[in-house]
Amino acid sequence: MRSPRTLEVWKLGTVNYLKSLKLQEKLVSERKAHHIPDTLLSLQHPPTYTLGKRRTDHNLLIPESELTKIGAELHYTQRGGDITFHGPHQAILYPIISLRSIGFGARNYVETLERSMIEFASIYGVKARAGNKCETGVWVGDRKIGAIGVRISSGITSHGLAFNIDPDLKYFEHIVPCGIADKEVTSLRRETDTLLPTEEVIHEQLVSCLAKAFSYDDVVWKEDPSVILDTQDKE
Amino acid sequence: MALRMWASSTANALKLSSSVSKSHLSPFSFSRCFSTVLEGLKYANSHEWVKHEGSVATIGITAHAQDHLGEVVFVELPEDNTSVSKEKSFGAVESVKATSEILSPISGEIIEVNKKLTESPGLINSSPYEDGWMIKVKPSSPAELESLMGPKEYTKFCEEEDAAH
Repeated sequence: MRSPRTLEVWKLGTVNYLKSLKLQEKLVSERKAHHIPDTLLSLQHPPTYTLGKRRTDHNLLIPESELTKIGAELHYTQRGGDITFHGPHQAILYPIISLRSIGFGARNYVETLERSMIEFASIYGVKARAGNKCETGVWVGDRKIGAIGVRISSGITSHGLAFNIDPDLKYFEHIVPCGIADKEVTSLRRETDTLLPTEEVIHEQLVSCLAKAFSYDDVVWKEDPSVILDTQDKE
Repeated sequence: MALRMWASSTANALKLSSSVSKSHLSPFSFSRCFSTVLEGLKYANSHEWVKHEGSVATIGITAHAQDHLGEVVFVELPEDNTSVSKEKSFGAVESVKATSEILSPISGEIIEVNKKLTESPGLINSSPYEDGWMIKVKPSSPAELESLMGPKEYTKFCEEEDAAH
């Protein structure tokens, strides 16, 4: 009989991208050293474009110098995946979890992230599906509603998923999202007539779907995120 | 909780898995773990293999590893003449929008890197033990090879790891 698995969830509100990267790096080391349990960051970013390890910056359609004019930052990262946009009203989850303790490889992990988002979308009557081969992510018809980009380091995950609640979709016009041309980007707001609750509730629902998909026995919600972030800064 | 325990024990009885992992649902790919663990190689618990021939050790990732990764679309490898350390990362592969670090099973100096992987990263999937080799290393501590797993041990390790979910 396996021992109970706990997921610790940090609700962080809006976090600058670089700050969240530094926090994740620290948590990955701590998770690798077994100092912390599986941890999940639930947050949003200010307008930010990010690139993956393959540095596919040909998919950024405006000059970098134009980005400050539209109030956005650009960051190169070590995650998998192509270019994407993060911004207000897009729910981001960064699981920092040990894949070895559940015997998962990259494929199982990503498929479970997709299932989490599909399950979440169904709460609002939205029939989402996983992408076809080479189109990892979550789609409603031919419209992309959820993106995935992950890094696995000694079996510990970082980065994660981004689900569009109601972001300003115009930001996506400046990129070839995820390197897939001719496919639209969509959001929960666009795909459902259901009245959406507050974003705090939406984040909690998405987290619960992920916790269920990964068979966690317990979810512990960590309070006072500003204290957590300040502590990280001081160290 | 009780419902999940019932479902899980029923699934075990029926030899099914509740996860969507292909490798669990397909008995073929389970036996693939047995049939494609090669004799004569040593294995790390991070799923890399080492072939030691004379003063050269060739390193790559196993059939089990490539199956769990999915289709590899990008490989990042170091330059020749850089060094590797046991259990430290020397490169990465990308599959299904995930970059996974590759760890070296041994320490030493890289004498050759498989440049074919830049153009054809899929060789790791189609030929993990032959054309999909990643680096050739001059081992600095041959004793490190002793602490790696043999084929039988590695097969059992894969079995136990897959059963964990």
